[in-house]
Amino acid sequence: MAQPIVTPGPTSPTPRAPRLPRWLFWLIPLALLPLPLYLDQYRQYVVNLILVYVPVAIGFNVVIGNLGLLAFCNVAFFGIGAYTSGVLALKLGLPWWVTILPAGLMGALAGAAASVPALRGVRLFYLAIMTLAFGELLRWVYIRWVPVTGGSFGMSVPPPNVFGWVLDNEGHKYYAFLALAVITVVLTDRLLRSRFGRAFMAIKDNEQAAAAMGIPTDRYILLAFAWSGFVVGIGGSMYAALIGHITPIAFDLTELILQFAVVMVGGLGSLTGSVLGAALITTAPEFFRPFPGFLELLFGVLIVLVILFLPRGLASLLARLHPLFVDRYYRD
Amino acid sequence: MALLEIDNVTVRFGGLTAVDEVSLTVGAGEVCAVIGPNGAGKTTLFNAVSGNAAIGSGRILFQGEPIHGLLPHQISAKGVRRTFQNGGLFGDLTALENVLVGLHARVESGILGVLLASPSARRIETEATARARALLDLMEIGHVADQPAAQLSGGQQRIVEIVRALATEPPLLLLDEPAVGLAPHMREQLVSIIRRLAGQGIGILLIEHAIELVMSVADRVVVLNYGKKVADAPPAAVRADKNVLEAYLGHV
Amino acid sequence: MLAVLPQLVVSGIATGMLYALIALSLTVGYRATTVVNFGHGEMVMAGAYALFVFAGFGLSFAPALILALGLLFLWGALTQRVFMRPIISGPHLSLAMMALAIGYAMRGGARLRWGSEVVTLTRPYSQDVFMLGPMVVTMDDLAISGFVLVLMGSLSILFYLTPVGRLVQAVFQSQRGAALVGLNVHAFHAMMWGVGAALGAAGGALLGLFLPLSPDMGVWTLVRGFAAMTLGGFGSFHGAVIGGLLLGVMEKLLGFYINTVFIDITAYLITILVLLIRPAGLFGRQTVVRI
Repeated sequence: MAQPIVTPGPTSPTPRAPRLPRWLFWLIPLALLPLPLYLDQYRQYVVNLILVYVPVAIGFNVVIGNLGLLAFCNVAFFGIGAYTSGVLALKLGLPWWVTILPAGLMGALAGAAASVPALRGVRLFYLAIMTLAFGELLRWVYIRWVPVTGGSFGMSVPPPNVFGWVLDNEGHKYYAFLALAVITVVLTDRLLRSRFGRAFMAIKDNEQAAAAMGIPTDRYILLAFAWSGFVVGIGGSMYAALIGHITPIAFDLTELILQFAVVMVGGLGSLTGSVLGAALITTAPEFFRPFPGFLELLFGVLIVLVILFLPRGLASLLARLHPLFVDRYYRD
Repeated sequence: MALLEIDNVTVRFGGLTAVDEVSLTVGAGEVCAVIGPNGAGKTTLFNAVSGNAAIGSGRILFQGEPIHGLLPHQISAKGVRRTFQNGGLFGDLTALENVLVGLHARVESGILGVLLASPSARRIETEATARARALLDLMEIGHVADQPAAQLSGGQQRIVEIVRALATEPPLLLLDEPAVGLAPHMREQLVSIIRRLAGQGIGILLIEHAIELVMSVADRVVVLNYGKKVADAPPAAVRADKNVLEAYLGHV
Repeated sequence: MLAVLPQLVVSGIATGMLYALIALSLTVGYRATTVVNFGHGEMVMAGAYALFVFAGFGLSFAPALILALGLLFLWGALTQRVFMRPIISGPHLSLAMMALAIGYAMRGGARLRWGSEVVTLTRPYSQDVFMLGPMVVTMDDLAISGFVLVLMGSLSILFYLTPVGRLVQAVFQSQRGAALVGLNVHAFHAMMWGVGAALGAAGGALLGLFLPLSPDMGVWTLVRGFAAMTLGGFGSFHGAVIGGLLLGVMEKLLGFYINTVFIDITAYLITILVLLIRPAGLFGRQTVVRI
């Protein structure tokens, strides 16, 4: 068949969109390594808090940004991770580093449980309401299961311990947290870049067509929720180690809005956006602590503005600056 | 043995019989077009074959095996691929990624391999990407491979969707109104693509409203009206059929 | 144990009336726009505070309540017009987030202004207790049930018997049809969000009669409104009412006969179980989206 089928394009190999070389990514954590030398304990604590929210945001984004399902159960995974780590450390005397993986696995389990309504075909607002109820029910468990969780007063977690080395200042925690943040970013990046991540996005864009391409959509919805729970559960474990005292109130609807703000401002479906959002939004509560209510007002208005004027968040702004910043999970 | 055999299939939605005891076959390398007025049950018939609609009675055999009752992704895995009427592309994914999703079943990397970036997982991904690019180049739309599908022109989207459906070399392709919204010169190109695919032995079941396109590309034309088959013959014979004229005139 | 049953049912019905009103107010907005207002709880909260503010101007209960409902009607219509309409055809995530964020900002505003004060409303009646056979009925129970019944009664008359009501009914049935005959569907959406907000505000006013006001009361009411709506079936008006009553009674019964913790979690359990087992609820017209 000599006749051209479509308007002829340039001859192969076709030009490709410019991309940053992958190894450049490693310069970021490398550049961040000497940070504790320049920060006092409080500032270091704020930076550590940002690192806690990196896995929390990227995990949340996998479900709402990449898979595109309206699930409000992220705080549930966060709480499960924190309490798993706390209970294992306090009741069984396990060192913190041993509890990180169980915290992630419990988060994954909660993720699998939270995906059940989605697997049964529940979508949209129904799914949102149901996952919201799931998260609130868990918070109620934290409050009521006093012998294990310490009830409303919460539980004090011993200082984190890594291979026998006690991380008793913020600078020490920083290195453990930086490593965990980098690991979760790299692993999630690999997952999203693979056929699994493509399947998530395909389900988001057109579930029926995804199934017609031979994708068992149920299995991938389960996987996305479980991965989200795993990563966020690790974030919860980091949170327990950072704060040292966990209470049910840390996992209420206010926290949910904070996490939403992080993902929406950073950029739905963008890994870079999640990290950006964590860096910018997480610190806000620290500044406005003396004015109760102001933060809610600010986040509320901020989310409204982002939805109206920057629906793909800061990541899209960055991408507009230069095509090099276009990451794969983001399209404007 | 026919590639696809639809045998006395009935599909009901509540009290409405959308497809009423329809039988038809598609052979390897054959282009079979299904036409009929709006609401005649064409798309429902398609959905029944691809597993998106449950059949009330009858059988659907693909390569001699019953496929009714299977889930859409299972039917797809057996080698029945389809396109959708109103843009079934994944708009946020690039053209290339769309084709990679089409190749999903062929990209057999495990989750551990992916997370650890094992050499075999990387190799599988590289090979799949190369194949997807080659397929797009083959259809001469390689230059838009890295553009999000939502930004492509209507004609390019249609071709990406066909490439995506064909990526795993399925024996049977279902095309749901592929010519809708295409400019006349694009329609000619579509005809040549369909003929070329049939020439390679792929069986094609086609729903189309554009009669002149159907007449020039189909080996056989099946006419549905009110869910019933009213004609099944070569294009020229269908054109002269009184039942067909009635089916259309009754609605015009 | 069984001797308490009638008493539990009676007080359950009174609470249930309140839930029914909130579920009904959610349903009005949902039926008109097919968008669930995740910030609806804050409309309820704002209604209570608005009543408090107007009462502070020296107005007596009834005029203060009418002003509060009017204000919330305007605010509801305004938020729909300004914030929801521009994104109405966008993804559901944005719609849900938008409503949630508006509610969140309202909650923040309320906390900034009243967060450190104890704010209570004064009952416009004396706190009497009646004996109905062996059952104790408080004036609060009567006031809530009476107010909700009168409100629902007048709404039903408005909806089923007047020309305006029939028009609204017609638009609920077919928005496209309404647009074809020249009705301004956008204005209708905004108006119905306003009506929903005003009805929710009425619920907030009732709640404020026997509970101190709090910026966080919206969350509590939203959860119960959702549960009642889910139980009755999304989008069904009489389903919302019956769901609310059932929820109120079930909270009391489970709380007494099994464990007091059920007073807190019945709403969550109902939401989860109904959506898993029978997503259409008792009277749902529309089932959950299935793919």
